[in-house]
Amino acid sequence: MEHKYEFVRKYRDQVLRCSNCGFCRAVCPVFGLTARPAYNARGKMLILKEVMDGTIDLNDELIETLFQCTTCASCAEICAGGVNVPEIIKAVRRDMVHIGSCHPAFKGMHLVLQEHTNIYGENEPADFKRKRNQKADYVYFIGCVGSYREDEATRAALDLLDHVGVNYTLIDEVCCSGVLEDVGYEINTALAQKNIDLILATGAKTVITGCPYCSRTFDNKAQYGALKENGIRIIHISQFLKDADLDVKTDKVVTYHDPCDLGRHCGIYEEPREIIRKIAPNFVEMRHHHADALCCGAGGGVRGAYAKNSIAMARRRLLEVEEAGAEIILTECNSCVHNLDNAKLRAQKFKIFTISQFLSQLLREKLNEDYLDQEPARLKKRV
Amino acid sequence: MFFWRLLTGRKCLNANTKQLLRDIVGAEHFSDSLIDLIAYAKDASEFKHRPDAAAWPSSTQQVSAIMKLANKEKFPVVPRGAGTSLAGLTVPIKGGLILDFGRMNKIISVSIEDRLAVVQPGVVYADLARVLAPHGFFYPPDPASGAVATLGGNVATNAGGIKGAKYGVTKDYVLALEVVLSDGRVLHTGSKCMKSSSGYDLTKLFVGSEGTLGVITEITLKINPKLPLTSTAMATFENLEDAGKAVSDIMYSGILPSGLEIVDKASLIAINKNTDLNLPEVEAILIAETDGHTREETKFQLDKIIEIFKKNNASSTKRADTALEAEALWTARKTVYGVMARINNNLFVEDMAVPISKVPQMLRSIADIAKKYNLQIPTVGHAGDGNLHPVISVDGTNPDEIKRVEEASVELFEKVAELGGTLTGEHGIGLFKVPFMHLEHDEISMEVMRSIKGLFDPNNILNPGKMGLDI
Repeated sequence: MEHKYEFVRKYRDQVLRCSNCGFCRAVCPVFGLTARPAYNARGKMLILKEVMDGTIDLNDELIETLFQCTTCASCAEICAGGVNVPEIIKAVRRDMVHIGSCHPAFKGMHLVLQEHTNIYGENEPADFKRKRNQKADYVYFIGCVGSYREDEATRAALDLLDHVGVNYTLIDEVCCSGVLEDVGYEINTALAQKNIDLILATGAKTVITGCPYCSRTFDNKAQYGALKENGIRIIHISQFLKDADLDVKTDKVVTYHDPCDLGRHCGIYEEPREIIRKIAPNFVEMRHHHADALCCGAGGGVRGAYAKNSIAMARRRLLEVEEAGAEIILTECNSCVHNLDNAKLRAQKFKIFTISQFLSQLLREKLNEDYLDQEPARLKKRV
Repeated sequence: MFFWRLLTGRKCLNANTKQLLRDIVGAEHFSDSLIDLIAYAKDASEFKHRPDAAAWPSSTQQVSAIMKLANKEKFPVVPRGAGTSLAGLTVPIKGGLILDFGRMNKIISVSIEDRLAVVQPGVVYADLARVLAPHGFFYPPDPASGAVATLGGNVATNAGGIKGAKYGVTKDYVLALEVVLSDGRVLHTGSKCMKSSSGYDLTKLFVGSEGTLGVITEITLKINPKLPLTSTAMATFENLEDAGKAVSDIMYSGILPSGLEIVDKASLIAINKNTDLNLPEVEAILIAETDGHTREETKFQLDKIIEIFKKNNASSTKRADTALEAEALWTARKTVYGVMARINNNLFVEDMAVPISKVPQMLRSIADIAKKYNLQIPTVGHAGDGNLHPVISVDGTNPDEIKRVEEASVELFEKVAELGGTLTGEHGIGLFKVPFMHLEHDEISMEVMRSIKGLFDPNNILNPGKMGLDI
C-alpha cells in the first residue's frame, strides 16, 4: 500500500540509508549552536524513521526540529551514505503543511506571497533609477533581499554593470518564490509566470541574478522551465564579473564566506575567489571554507522562524572571521550579508560586503583619486 | 542485535523527579520532549531504546546532585558524548536519564611543559587536536570518528585509532580523572605525573568502563610532540598469508610504523563495483606510514618496510612522494566505509583484535564465514596491532538477512576466541558483544567484574545492561 506521506514515497530508501554515524554533528550549524542531537541531521532522520515505522505520526511536536534546518546541505556534503537531508526535509515539510502542522512563520510567508510580490509584503521597492522592462542583452534580476533590504549592495552591483558597459535592463520583478518549496509549499506559479513573461519580453538571452537562490530557482525548477526552453542562460553576478578587469586593488586582509546556495548547492567556489584574488593579495580563508563552509544561519526559512538562533549561528561564523584576522568579509548572497551584518557586534571592526559592493567601492575610491590627482584645484575648493 | 528482542525498558522518572532534575540543571537544560527521546534512543549501533528524559549538565556539582537523586530514586543514568558508539554503549536500554555532556566541552588547560591537557568530557577530539597543533603537539589515539567523538566517550570506550601500533590507545594517555560516583561523591584518581605507582590504578579502571562505574567529569591527558614528517607506501599481495607475514616481520623489525593498515579482497571488490577507482583485486593491500623529524628518517624506515614487503612476495609496491600521492594510497582504506554505507540500509562495523601473527588466519575465516552465510563482509583493519574491522552491510528490513548476520557473528567471535583474540579492540562491549562475553572471559573473571560493578554501583543505575555485568 502506498504510504500516506510524500516524503516516505520519495525518500524512504534515503532515510533508511542514514547509518546514524553522527558525523553530521561536525558540520550542522543548528547542532553546532544548540548542541542538541534532536536538531542534528541524524536526529531528524531518526525521527523520520519512526514516522515511517508508524511508531509516531507527524505532528506539531516535530515542528521544532523539522522546521529548524537551514537546508545548508553541509550534512549531505559529508554523509558517507549519501543521504540528501535538505531534500528530505523539504518533502517532509510539505507533508507537515498538508496535515496542518506548520511553523506559523512559514505559514505567514506563504500568505504574504499570495497577496504580495515579495517576501517582505512591502509595496515600494527601492528605486534604482535604471531602465526597466526595456529591450536589452541582459536582465539583471535583483531578488527580494537586494530590492528591499540590501539596496546599497544592489546599487553597487548596478554601478559595476554600468562601469563595464553592460547593456542590461531591470524588470518589474516579483519574488521568484523558490523559498516556498523550502518551507513546505509550492512555487507560486503566477509569480513565476510574471517573471518569465517580463524576462522574455526584454529579448535578453542572459539573466544575471544578484541572488544565488533566485539563480538556483530559475535554473532548476520546472516552473521556470520556459526560460531554458527559450535559450536563456542564468548566471550569478559572480560568474559574470569573473572576467571583468577593473584594475583596482586593496591591501586589506580579505576573506570570503561561501553562501550555501552558491557553494554546496551550485558548486560555485572558485569564480568569487578568482575575482577576490585579483584585487586582494592579502586573501585569507576562514577555518571552514569551500564545501566545508559554515552556514550563516539565514536559509531554509530559519531566519524568519527562529530569528534568535539564526543570528546566533551568524555570530559563530563571524568568530571565524575574527580568527582569520580579516578586515573585510565578502560574500555573494544578499541574504548572508543581511544576516551577518545583523549579527555583527560593535566591537567587531571588520566590514561585510558583497563582492560587487566592495569592487564598486574600490572603483569609486580609485576614480576619485584619479580625479583628485588630475585636478588638485578642485580639492582645495572641497576643503 | 540479539538484545533487541530481550530487553524492555522500565519507566522510572515521575513528574516529581523530573522537576527535581529541572531544579538542578535549569529547566532549559532538561527535556522529556518526544524529539529528544527519539534522538537519544540510538547511537551508531543498531540498538534502540528511548530514555525517559535527558539533561545537559554544566558542572561536576550538577552531575553530583543528579547522581544523588538517581541513587535515591534508583533510575538509570547513561552518560553520553557524541553517540558514535558502534556497540550500543550509549543506548539507554533500560530507559532513565541521558546525561549529555555537550555543555561540558571546555579545554580547561594545556600545559606543554608538563606534557598534559586537562579537559571536560564533552570536548571533541578534533577541537583538542586544533588547540594542540600550534604547539607542535597532538593527542595520539585518533578514532575514525575524531571529528565528532568526545574525549569522555573515548575514555569510557578506551578508544583506539589508526596510530595504535606505534602510539598506543586511550588508556596509555589518561593520567587522572575526576569521576562522580553513583552516590554523588566526587572521586579524584591518578596524578599529573608521567609516572606513578601509588595505590591501585583507579584511573585505568575507569578507562573503558563504558559509564558503568561512574560518570567522568574531568580528564587529564598526556599529550605528545608531533613528528612533522610522514612517508607512505602501499603494497599489493596475491596471497593473504604473505601480507600477514609481512605485517609480523615489520612489527618485530624494530621499525614502528605510525600506521599499518590492511584492506582485504572483498573490500577491493566492493570498492571497484561501486566506484571508478579500479583498484587491483588482490588478496590484500597493505598501507604503511612512517613518521619522523627528517625526510631521511621517514625514508629510512619506509625503505626497510618496502624491503620487507618485497621479501614477502608483494606483487607491487608504490611509494608516495607528495602529500597528494599519499592521499591516493590511502584512498582504498578510506573509501570502504562510504562504499559499504551506500550499498545497503544497515551497517555493522565490527571490531576484534587477534595476535598480530594471526591476522591472515582471521581474515581467511572471515571470508569463509561470509561465503557460508551468503554475506558481503569486506574487512579493513589496523594490521599493525591486529585490530580488524569486518564491515557488514545488510538490509535491516529483511529478517532472513538479519538472521544470517547474527549466525555469522557467533561464528566470527568463536573464531576470535579460538585464535586467542579479543572481542573488541577499540569499540567496547556495550550491548553488541554481551552475548559473547563468555567466549573471552571465564566465570571467575566475570565474577570479579560483577563484584567491582557492585562495589561502585550497588543499585545498578549506571548505564545498566552493558558489558553483561547486570547483577
